[in-house]
Amino acid sequence: MNQRALLFDVIRRSIEGPIVAEQDFDMNHIYKNLKKTVKKYNIHLESNSIINFDDELADKVWNAAIEFLANSGIYYKDTGRIIQFTEDEIRNRIQYAPKEAQYGEGNDKVIERARTADDPNPCISMGSSVNVPCENKYFVPIMLSYLQEPLVDIHCPTTNLTTINGMELRTRTPLEILASWEEVELYRHVAKMAGRPGICYNGVGISVSDVGQLSAAHLMRPYDSHCVGIISELKADNSIMNKITQTVLLDGQCTPYANPIYGGLGGGLDTQLVLLTAEMIALSVVFMGTTVGTTPTHPSFFSSTTKEILQMVSVAFQAISRNSHIMTRLTHTMVGGPATKTFLYEIIASCLVATKSGLARLQGPRGATGAIEGACTGLEARFQGEVLHAAVKIDREKAEEIVQKAYAKYKDDLDKKPYGKPFWEIYDVDTIQPKEEWLNLYEEVRAEAIEWGLPII
Amino acid sequence: MEDLYLPLKEAIIDGEVDDALNESQGLLDQGVNPLNIFTDCVEPTINELGEQFSRLEVFLPDLIIAGDVVTALQEKLLPIMKELNISGREKGKGIIATVFGDLHDIGKNMVSLMLDINGFQMSDLGVDVAPMAIVKKAEEINADFVCLSALMLPSLPYMKETIDLIKNNAKLKDHTLIMVGGGPVTETWAKSHGADGYADDAIGAVRLAHELLGISN
Repeated sequence: MNQRALLFDVIRRSIEGPIVAEQDFDMNHIYKNLKKTVKKYNIHLESNSIINFDDELADKVWNAAIEFLANSGIYYKDTGRIIQFTEDEIRNRIQYAPKEAQYGEGNDKVIERARTADDPNPCISMGSSVNVPCENKYFVPIMLSYLQEPLVDIHCPTTNLTTINGMELRTRTPLEILASWEEVELYRHVAKMAGRPGICYNGVGISVSDVGQLSAAHLMRPYDSHCVGIISELKADNSIMNKITQTVLLDGQCTPYANPIYGGLGGGLDTQLVLLTAEMIALSVVFMGTTVGTTPTHPSFFSSTTKEILQMVSVAFQAISRNSHIMTRLTHTMVGGPATKTFLYEIIASCLVATKSGLARLQGPRGATGAIEGACTGLEARFQGEVLHAAVKIDREKAEEIVQKAYAKYKDDLDKKPYGKPFWEIYDVDTIQPKEEWLNLYEEVRAEAIEWGLPII
Repeated sequence: MEDLYLPLKEAIIDGEVDDALNESQGLLDQGVNPLNIFTDCVEPTINELGEQFSRLEVFLPDLIIAGDVVTALQEKLLPIMKELNISGREKGKGIIATVFGDLHDIGKNMVSLMLDINGFQMSDLGVDVAPMAIVKKAEEINADFVCLSALMLPSLPYMKETIDLIKNNAKLKDHTLIMVGGGPVTETWAKSHGADGYADDAIGAVRLAHELLGISN
């Protein structure tokens, strides 16, 4: 289907759709609609397993999500209207979701494809901690630490530029435009330094509003990825649609994301299964995502590695991969940070869940909740790639056994917030190599995972 | 909790505004002091819900519907308390906002709601709020405290600017306390940028507000 025709259709609905008060949308269109739908489809997850083994549940969640989305619609904040599609329209549009896409070019080209839960091909590893705060002087060395890792297939800026000419960045100002240009140009520079000039750029990370991203349009290449975050839960506005519109006009790869908050408007586990699935469908059919993404977040730990969130991810993405060819991405966030074993155990659990739930791409690992200054290194991205490649060599049962072992190792540490150490303390900043302290921990946990039966090479 | 309050407690938890108003009227008719309805029933019920929320046994929408009932009870009972010259419910006036450039509201809404139903008079200014708009509102209501939230790094300068404006405002600097929170905000950031306190979740924010204002929880 023609992307511009889809775009015009969405814009028209955002202008002409039914008017609803935002509070009414939150409570009735989201929460009560979720409860009603979950009850109607008799959706209940009560399992000790973290990886889902219940295909019937996944299929029920898929159908419930489409019905829920048709009834909820997307709230458009600037017009106070609902972008609404019928169930038939949603099912019809899902068919037009791309089955594969090219990211990057030349020798650095990566072809992403929709995966199934038991797919023999590993998830694409998007090794990046995603916009961790950090002084500008570490931008290049930290990025190099990731881009030098061969198992990093795609990347996006791991740290944020924080100042321009000594001035702190401010969104929706000229500083956002300046920083957006600098981010793309610096990224290309580092990619060349790492010998990967064609690697896909995913951004603009620093562009919180549409100002920076729109200004940097000419710096984007055809196989770069344009990221656009929608507002939780199921809301959009002009700034978001401006970014989508630009992506369509550039014929670019659109990678929208939605981040449901566990315990928030989407409630608990059963309702979140439907909400997360519906949000991914919405990103595909309404926001024209080439690959659609999420970071479900726990409200106390700010991570995606608690048991309930891993279970939620497993059911929702199995629902999607069993019933469609929508390409999906998880950005996984951990409590543990670099130079902690907790972080590495969380990576094992999350990578195995992602692999055995049909995700096309895993973005991360995002350590120390992504909020601690400098808490990101290329070594964890190496480990992520290794685990993803090993994960496809074992079956779902074995993966579940290892996930349980890893989970048991870290679950009691989450409360302690083991945020670890910043890049400059555990990497040699000149040689861009991990120091012994961090390397030893990595090797210990790697050996332990191999002992558990994970065939890491 | 005494048995006579249990039907009202149930109405609050179920979000049944009409039932709660009827139950409260029944209690008043029995001669129960309206302040006791708050201290012996409403507050313990809300605290219990808050504890359950911290363990994720209940969720944000459960708090919202309970909050609607508490608002209705306040609208009914506070004028009666005023008429009878009964005081003791006012814990302090607060403002809450997600700072300029940031549209994230779920975390902010959780904090706002928990403070509101714990007896603070909250003015929620919403998201994407300019620093001066927060200062003007704080002046207008003579706020005891201001809560600032941000999820995006490039919005943090606006949080800092709001703190600076309040701390340099003649009407507010000696009186209005500032609490901050949100994804990129840390306790260290809060201390180094002049905030009076940092909380990393809604329950922590309620605890902090009590501490800062010197009120027992």
